[in-house]
Amino acid sequence: MSNFINPKIGSGPPPKPWERAGSSSGPAPFKPATPGSTSDVVEASGTARPGEIVQSNNTTSTVNTLGRPVPPRPWEQQQTYGGAGYGSTLGYNSGGYGTAGGYGSYGGMGSYNSGGLYGNSMYRGGGGYGGLYGGGSSMYGGGMYGSSYGGGMGGMGMGMGGMGMGMGMGMGGPGGPYDDQDPNNPFGAPSQPPGFWISLMRVMQGFVTFFGRVAMLIDQNAQAFHMFMSALLQLFDRSGLLYGELARFVFRILGVRTKGNKVQPPGPHGQHGQQIEGPKGAPAGAWDGVWGNNAPN
Amino acid sequence: MPAFKTPFNGYAVKFSPFYEQRLAVATAQNFGILGNGRIHVIDLSPAGPIAEIAAYDTADGVYDVSWSESHDSLLVAAVADGSVKLYDLSLPPTSNPVRSLSEHTRETHSVDYNAVRRDSFLSSSWDDTIKLWTIDRPTSVRTFKEHAYCVYSAAWNPRHADVFASASGDCTARIWDVREPGSTMILPAHEFEILSCDWSKYDDAVIATSSVDKSIKVWDVRNYRVPVAVLNGHGYAVRKVKFSPHRASVIASCSYDMTVCLWDYMVEDSLIGRYDHHTEFAVGVDMSVLVEGLLASTGWDEFAYVWQHGTDPKAP
Repeated sequence: MSNFINPKIGSGPPPKPWERAGSSSGPAPFKPATPGSTSDVVEASGTARPGEIVQSNNTTSTVNTLGRPVPPRPWEQQQTYGGAGYGSTLGYNSGGYGTAGGYGSYGGMGSYNSGGLYGNSMYRGGGGYGGLYGGGSSMYGGGMYGSSYGGGMGGMGMGMGGMGMGMGMGMGGPGGPYDDQDPNNPFGAPSQPPGFWISLMRVMQGFVTFFGRVAMLIDQNAQAFHMFMSALLQLFDRSGLLYGELARFVFRILGVRTKGNKVQPPGPHGQHGQQIEGPKGAPAGAWDGVWGNNAPN
Repeated sequence: MPAFKTPFNGYAVKFSPFYEQRLAVATAQNFGILGNGRIHVIDLSPAGPIAEIAAYDTADGVYDVSWSESHDSLLVAAVADGSVKLYDLSLPPTSNPVRSLSEHTRETHSVDYNAVRRDSFLSSSWDDTIKLWTIDRPTSVRTFKEHAYCVYSAAWNPRHADVFASASGDCTARIWDVREPGSTMILPAHEFEILSCDWSKYDDAVIATSSVDKSIKVWDVRNYRVPVAVLNGHGYAVRKVKFSPHRASVIASCSYDMTVCLWDYMVEDSLIGRYDHHTEFAVGVDMSVLVEGLLASTGWDEFAYVWQHGTDPKAP
């Protein structure tokens, strides 16, 4: 490689404010720094391993000093459930929560979990990603991602506090080898335009990446999940499906009989019969608390 | 000071260690979930709008950025496709990135430049590893693989050339010495995922960690069984934590509760400032090394703000 950056260090930035101050307040916790460049120091210590590529799964063998189960990565589920979703009419569920039947290749199905939506404890406790990824483990199924048989079925069920909502997509097709060239890589020749199947595989990989990152956001904070779901609900809202109807629809799919008018939320005048059919009032007011009390909308 | 509008969602903001008016902002399209990324280099002017000096597009979101401590025009970026890219502002856009280092097998989530030895930087990734790079080599010098889950952040000790800390989703923060084969300390710092860590600039044994449990904890690595301080006040996960370069006990943090907070962990009422200027998650915060009290933040509301502590970030 010819375009190395000149390693010669220039004048450097202005001195840091803390360089003028004294050192720490007690015995030094570390061995004194070794003079020399970083690469020389590391090589002298015998720990250098240039250019090592580590697959994330390889590190699971390292000691988990906490003795605490670590949640599976979203993208690992493709191994656990590889191919499982193929042509199936059932939803798979990693956490042992109930699922509803799916619809063939549509893969859209609702799954539900019982509470704990915003609590991270829900998957810390060893239950796996169960509820959140409920119906759709096959989203990450082998059929969808790089399989040479194709016909995979994806679905992603999302449970929220008793209400199931399905979002899914079906896709399939024979796979093939695909390369993953970095379009921004300044080195290397421009590649050939990709063929149809390669493009398709890339799109599918994009789906996997997409859900992986959504899952990571959920991992970092349930509020992100809330936002994602709000966006999804708004989408449904715009398409004319109001919350109540949507809920009823999902309940019907789940086989739960709803009694919409049994418990009325107290109206402004405390009278029955003056209820305005609105998005929130429909299924017994139970949806008011779906997002928790302090979640901004 | 005026805000800078970015076309994508902000992910990180960093002051240049060379020029007090210069910043870099890392952004990602569609909240970093899918789409492109862009790095903006901006200059503040005393009166007038923020000027954009350069912008670099990437094929995937940019999660973090770090200025070189050795070359005033060099930037390191953590890209969501797993690569680490180097940009040189002194070269024409067509020559950038000057380097694309692809070794991580998952998203790269943070980069940090060594401010003591000034010839190396760290990258941490969702592939559970941290990699050490030097600017004169096309491959990493070594890989630190001990964490059992994504490593969200790695930060050099500002007073020790060989020591750094890492924060991971496996609920531990680890202290590393690049000369040792494994980590030298494991801090089971939080019950939930740890998203960020940073060292005190004035005490080389003090480290702060921030977590999904909404708290920031300050630790002395010489006695890490109990935290020195626990800072509660954020309403959601604390995304980034940063020690002040000027005040030994001052910490800045930003959170998914959309606020940027300033803390003094030595005093009882430790929350000394709260800024709620962001209208979406605040995910990037930095404090200027060259101007005391100057803060910068960015968030998913596609704005980068620069302001003096005590003033309104939104004030024109």
